[in-house]
Amino acid sequence: MPARFGPARMSLTILFGSMVILAACAAPNKLLVLEWSGYDEPDFWTDFKTANPDTAVTFEPGSSDADVLAKMEAGSQADIFHFYTGWQQFYVDAGLVKEIDTSKLTNWDKVPQSFKDLGKVDGKQYYLPWDWGFTSILYNTDKVTEVTSWDALFDDAYTGHISMWDDGPSAVTVSSYVHGWDETAITDEQLAQAEQEWKDQKALNFHYWTDEYADLCPDFEGGDIWLAYAWQGCYATILYSESQPVAYANPAEGRNSWVGLYGISSKTANYDLALQFLDMKLATLTCSNAVTIFYYGCANQEVMDGIEDPVLIQAFGIDDPSILDSTNFTPPVTEAQRTAWTEMWGRVKAE
Amino acid sequence: MLGRRGSLRFLTVPPFAWLIVLFILPLLLAILVSFRGERGPIDFGSLLQLSTLQYGKILDTPSWLRLLGTSAAMALVVAAGATLLAFPIAYFLAFRARHRAPIFLILLLVPAATSFLLRVMAWKLLLGGSGAINTFLIWIGVVHEPIGLLLYSQAAVIITLIYVWIPFAALPIYAALQRVERSHLEAAADLGSGPWSRFWRVTVPLSLPGVLATFFMVFIPTVGEYVTPFLVGGTEGFMYGLLIQDFFSRAGNWPLGSALAVIMLVVTIGLVTIALRLVNLRRALA
Repeated sequence: MPARFGPARMSLTILFGSMVILAACAAPNKLLVLEWSGYDEPDFWTDFKTANPDTAVTFEPGSSDADVLAKMEAGSQADIFHFYTGWQQFYVDAGLVKEIDTSKLTNWDKVPQSFKDLGKVDGKQYYLPWDWGFTSILYNTDKVTEVTSWDALFDDAYTGHISMWDDGPSAVTVSSYVHGWDETAITDEQLAQAEQEWKDQKALNFHYWTDEYADLCPDFEGGDIWLAYAWQGCYATILYSESQPVAYANPAEGRNSWVGLYGISSKTANYDLALQFLDMKLATLTCSNAVTIFYYGCANQEVMDGIEDPVLIQAFGIDDPSILDSTNFTPPVTEAQRTAWTEMWGRVKAE
Repeated sequence: MLGRRGSLRFLTVPPFAWLIVLFILPLLLAILVSFRGERGPIDFGSLLQLSTLQYGKILDTPSWLRLLGTSAAMALVVAAGATLLAFPIAYFLAFRARHRAPIFLILLLVPAATSFLLRVMAWKLLLGGSGAINTFLIWIGVVHEPIGLLLYSQAAVIITLIYVWIPFAALPIYAALQRVERSHLEAAADLGSGPWSRFWRVTVPLSLPGVLATFFMVFIPTVGEYVTPFLVGGTEGFMYGLLIQDFFSRAGNWPLGSALAVIMLVVTIGLVTIALRLVNLRRALA
């Protein structure tokens, strides 16, 4: 006698049927990229799109390096993920990343060795370097006297017109520059001192910015912000718009520099397609778009060497051959340090 | 053919399954994650290694607990403000608008048809340094520099949240006022009661279930609110919900974020329970 097909079973069948259909959607001509918001713009992957018009590329948003790592750890189905220097080791330790077969990359020889090295862990090439830039202090030259140190962020002469990035590890980095501490070996006492200083600094801010183009640049251009922790993208934006007289500091402690890296998930079923996506990220048009539309540096050195626009030359410091000598590249830090620094920032914001 | 009981089961199993999979299980998971020692890959084995480390951190951080108190106080002001301002609107719809009530109701809900984000951003454009109010004040010569206090403050968060909630707050009050028997008001009038007396002694008590429902409907989600303070709060209008969001998305510290969320849940339930005891809900609803 056949079993009765009751309502509960019918409901479960519908539920599991839906799950099977969803699973079937993970077809091999699809790529899922765990990406910082804004980078999903087609200009940022135009060469791949042209070469693979039938491939559906979807983006899962990541709001920070920590968020990208947390999502990968939580089992994200992303084939590719994007993060910034300082986080390379974590993915390798957790077995989340697959080594990159650079022999299959047609644009690999255009990447400087120093950038390639940033993508290596234990001598293996796990990551592909792509975007890069500076962090320094952006200031309105009509309102602020020449900035020569990172401690300008703590200057109460500009109360209500300063804007710090909403990021704990970056706050600790600034404190380490100001006090000359070793960023990779911050002690508990130093962290407590930094916490108190940032608590005292809190009232000086117009706001803590979270998005370079959504709140930092518009508020700087509108005249509310006079002095900010900023990337060169906002600097170039304001140079182009000529909305405010602006300068990008060369602090005595040195600027900071960051490099964006792409990794391929160890769980991906689309390794070759993911590899092609990364290769096409380094292609000329895609890299040029990153430079000319979004004002980020790109790891394709041929593109960087071809920059002739005076604003971009100024923004990237290309006219200053010594700029990199005094630049601090973001070092890797441990899990415990990052946890302590983000908790410190949570206490600062809640104060 | 499905019988009556079968039909009922067929209709109730999907929503219950939905609720269990997408509400109960994530809530239980959040509670489990909150008892994790350190952040890291989430797997079944590590979830069962329970630790009170995150709760210890929270209890050792007075500023986080104070922030929860501040957020609850802000939610109280928002809930009271939205309920008070929504009442006259609901009253007008129920007693004065007559056959035009549906049109006014649609007009009331028109702003809700646009994106919540868009409406909050509109406040930013209005209150910002180069926004409409400051531009106007500078143009007429009242001030020479933009007034900075209009945006990125606790007041900006409260004003914006009240504005956002008013249309939704008016609906349950309107429904409650519609249920007020007109014959009761007529009887009160026949017994010599004046308009104010009828309002306070008949209309308000009979609409109290809707008013209380509105108050808690606004209060409970506002305690954990994070989008509005994120957009217009700045450093001064920071709320507890943003702290939770920070630990989940910006710090990637799910155990600490979960523990903060669980504490907020417990405190909110506690506050609502106390409030319901104080107002004696059974009597209010009777």
